Amino acid sequence: MKTSRLAIAAAMLIVAASCSTAAPATQPPVTDAPTGAPTSVPATATAEADCTVAVSWNNFQQPRWAAHDQPGIKETVEAAGGTYIDQDANLSNEQQITDVDTLISRGADVLIILAQDTEAILPAVERASQEDIPVIAYDRLIEDPDALYITFNNVGVGRAQAEAILAAVPEGNYVLIKGDPGDPNASTFLPQGWDEAGLKDKVDAGDITILNMSGDSWPDEAGTYTIAWSTETAQDNMEAIIDAANAEDQTIDAILAENDSTALGVVAALEAKSYAFPPLSGQDGDTANLNNVALGKQYVDVWKNARELGKAAGAAALALCEGQDMAGLTMDEGLVDPSVAPDSLTAQDFETPGGNTVKSFILKPTPITKENLNLVLEGGWVTKDQLCQGVDAASADAPEACK
Amino acid sequence: MTQIAESTRADIPPQAPTRGGIGDLLRQTEINFRLFGMLVALGVILVTFHVWSGGTFLRPENMMSLAVQASGIAVISTGMVLVIVSRNIDLSVGSIVGIVAMTYAVLMTDILPHVVGLGVDFPFRWLIALVLGVGLGVGIGALQGFIIAYIGVPSFIVTLGGLLSIRGVVWYFSRGAAVTGLDTDFRLIGGGAEGSIGGPTTWLVAAAASLAIIGLLYYNRRRRRRYGFPLRPMWAEVLLACLGVLFVLGLAWVANNNFWPRGAAEQYARANNIEIPAGGLFIPSGFPYPVVIVIAVTLIMTWVATRRRFGRYVYAYGGNPDAAELAGINTRWTIMKTFMLIGGLCAIAGAIAAARLNGATLDIGLSYELYVIAAAVIGGTSFAGGIGTIPGAVLGAFVMQAIAYGLSYVGVNSPGQNVVAGLVLILAVGFDTWNRRRGS
Amino acid sequence: MSGMEEIAMTDQRATPLVEMRNINVAFGGVRAVQDASIELFGGEVVGLVGHNGAGKSTLMRVLSGAHPADSGEILIDGRPAMIRNPRDAKTYAIETIYQNLALADNLDAPGNLFLGRELTTRIGQLDDSSMESETRKVMQRLNPNFKRFRQAAVSLSGGQRQAIAIARAVYFNARIMIMDEPTAALGPAETAQVHTLVRQLKSEGIGIFLISHDIHDVFDLSDRIGVMYQGRIVETVQREGVTADDVLAMIIVGKRPEQLTSLEKAQLSV
Repeated sequence: MKTSRLAIAAAMLIVAASCSTAAPATQPPVTDAPTGAPTSVPATATAEADCTVAVSWNNFQQPRWAAHDQPGIKETVEAAGGTYIDQDANLSNEQQITDVDTLISRGADVLIILAQDTEAILPAVERASQEDIPVIAYDRLIEDPDALYITFNNVGVGRAQAEAILAAVPEGNYVLIKGDPGDPNASTFLPQGWDEAGLKDKVDAGDITILNMSGDSWPDEAGTYTIAWSTETAQDNMEAIIDAANAEDQTIDAILAENDSTALGVVAALEAKSYAFPPLSGQDGDTANLNNVALGKQYVDVWKNARELGKAAGAAALALCEGQDMAGLTMDEGLVDPSVAPDSLTAQDFETPGGNTVKSFILKPTPITKENLNLVLEGGWVTKDQLCQGVDAASADAPEACK
Repeated sequence: MTQIAESTRADIPPQAPTRGGIGDLLRQTEINFRLFGMLVALGVILVTFHVWSGGTFLRPENMMSLAVQASGIAVISTGMVLVIVSRNIDLSVGSIVGIVAMTYAVLMTDILPHVVGLGVDFPFRWLIALVLGVGLGVGIGALQGFIIAYIGVPSFIVTLGGLLSIRGVVWYFSRGAAVTGLDTDFRLIGGGAEGSIGGPTTWLVAAAASLAIIGLLYYNRRRRRRYGFPLRPMWAEVLLACLGVLFVLGLAWVANNNFWPRGAAEQYARANNIEIPAGGLFIPSGFPYPVVIVIAVTLIMTWVATRRRFGRYVYAYGGNPDAAELAGINTRWTIMKTFMLIGGLCAIAGAIAAARLNGATLDIGLSYELYVIAAAVIGGTSFAGGIGTIPGAVLGAFVMQAIAYGLSYVGVNSPGQNVVAGLVLILAVGFDTWNRRRGS
Repeated sequence: MSGMEEIAMTDQRATPLVEMRNINVAFGGVRAVQDASIELFGGEVVGLVGHNGAGKSTLMRVLSGAHPADSGEILIDGRPAMIRNPRDAKTYAIETIYQNLALADNLDAPGNLFLGRELTTRIGQLDDSSMESETRKVMQRLNPNFKRFRQAAVSLSGGQRQAIAIARAVYFNARIMIMDEPTAALGPAETAQVHTLVRQLKSEGIGIFLISHDIHDVFDLSDRIGVMYQGRIVETVQREGVTADDVLAMIIVGKRPEQLTSLEKAQLSV
């Protein structure tokens, strides 16, 4: 009696576990990208074209990777006759080390790594270097002098956010909503960009007051962090900030939110309080937020055309496969859209916060406002229906892209 | 079977107060001291934040924000009490909230209008989504409850599996993207200016509640007299009536002093051709719908726990599973029902969360289980089983949210909030354990 | 035995209240009860004794519905009875006082008394007041000093908890009672109270199976004594006709007194 119960229980557990994306070790993510192309091994590829490009994701569940980065890399690699393989670490450092090992065992010739943690990933990078496998640090920095850093200019994202908002609201009361305190993007790069656009200067000059300081230290205590970039947490925090501002009779004139998931929470809080929508920033170009831009609830969304980033990384990976040297690596002119391409098409030096100098391709983000929403439509990022959901096309406020 | 004898007066005299002293007086009121203590603690917390914020914390608007933010957790915690009382645990509540919220969003924005063909303007779309979502929540609860009660797998394991796998399934709904743009009627469930019942209705509710309190006290006294049980002293009855009525009216007053924001009021005035007086148009919001939902759920769950056989069997099982089994109670079905119930409550909390957000994200409901369990435990529910009250859990939820909201309000950062929340949990449970040990 | 009780017994001797025939219960490979048969008449106490694991509790659990028999039959008032679970047993007016008292510690006396058989109002709500009132009345008969009707069972003494357990059986008009070690956890005064209670119940025509390790309790209360040894019933004897030593011999060796060899007799007397 008891043994059969345990057997059923074990079966249930196995079913439950295997349905979960938190499945242990070697469970690769669903690689059915929008194109629907299955992972294929090239039949009679030539020696140079027979390149296996392996990607180690850190959190494949976030919408962006499946929708844009993965297709960008995969199509570029497969068009040249290469093979694409990948693994997902589901936010775990330990898992990512295992994943890299697995990818090497599966025959990786070059590794593209989206590091969960810039330093915890180093043992995996070490292993790759021992196997003479070149490593590309994709979107997130790896503190290793030999890893090629391909990313959007995260500081530049911050700068674009703040430039847009400061231009709209040069003086007044600001609210700063930051992301997860453990993410260097949230704590360092984006605030650095904000300051490069002039935020700190304005605060010092007295033109701008930050309503939600948690202390005096800048930038660490300027603004509110949102653990895990959670939309619900951002909403709760923002509601409290609005209440406090109302209590002190202060108006909120502008809101700098570091990304779209927090910006979504901010919009929900504003609506709950029937608060008029002050200019609000975000990043990532999430569908819901672009829709909010069209509706006038969000002012600017700094869009990183991740498909272009994927293309760049895919091309760089193929080049490294052929044996090209990282130092002289040059992008083809038409590979990525010129508005997104780095200033120099040859790999440039980048000084990391940890004191390393890495070769890098830093792509440019595109700030999206109501005026240039057509870019995301043309880029195939969203459909018009998604973008314009709820927009009254006949109204004078409606964006051009929805008319 | 014996007949219920009609007794007019038994030979048991009503107990007269014997000794004096405050403790004795208080005991005669029969107030549940734990609950009362928690109310006092909540008051202390609110006053502390009021001082910390320089005197701006205790405003009706803020109290309503706090109440709405606590509502989802509070609703689920009522069900968690029954689960923990019967010696089980449900770790999957956050994931159930997540999948049901995403279901609402996808149903309302995509499936019902486009796939089923109900059209974008179909009026009761939100109601259909709500019913389906609750069905999903209850269904998941039934599945987990069946595995726990009938197959015998420990609830910790089953619901842990649920926590992981259900959250994973949510990804497939929208490839991780947020789904927004819900029906305006549905969004009322989330509170806000229009998501409240309004001034007049709030006073009506308060009046009805006051009458109900007085009525209950009167009926209770009459019933005791009929059976010859000891009566509360008259002064205690009056005191309880006054406290109860004052409390209810106080809540209504706070709710009605939360006015519509100026912009919304002016918009409303224009739309309805109302003239705006010199000082501005003040429309009282009244109780927000989430708060009404919490109150209704609390009352219903308390009634189920204390007045229905199902509730009695849950507590009996928690007190002594063998005794319940030997008394002929269908314990397996009872346990399964506790999980179905909490699943349904998660669906309600999911509606509040989705309505507040005007959509669903991949991580909606994340970590709810921690706060729900903490609320139940702070409210006096014990993991040993058999002990716990539903009003206590609801109060526990409000205590935790008061701290979270207060810290946000005065500008303490998120990590700091988590530190405080964890400490409060340890303190509350530690105090309770020490108190029990002292008493027994 | 007093004259009164003798008359009571004779009146009801026609059909046994309970007849258990050829009961077999096995747990895995262990035969806990083997081909056991025993009778109980109204107004008598049958003591059930035996070593640990002899099968006394198991046999009674079959009667109380806590564990179904593998084979055998039970007759109540001469008619075959189906007892598959505790609810079935209660329909035959069989009530059990369990060794661990089967009380829920967190419920009060009325809650425990009516557990599983709660009184409800017309609309299906628990009628706590009626249950308390009925509990007060029945406890008045059994233990007039009991006052703590609203306190959780965990804070009551062993004797008070025992009183509730017995009150439960009495309230539901048990005709057949099974008492499993009723005085095990009680002091002398409370034990005496239980004895008085048992005699009172006997005089009302209730049939009682009494499981006990305490030979003196058994001899004090029982009219007949059933001895079990390794799952079998060795013999059921009239209390009048045996001594405590005889019974002890049966418990230890599993044989009837006249079957003992002289060697065994010698061993036993050491």
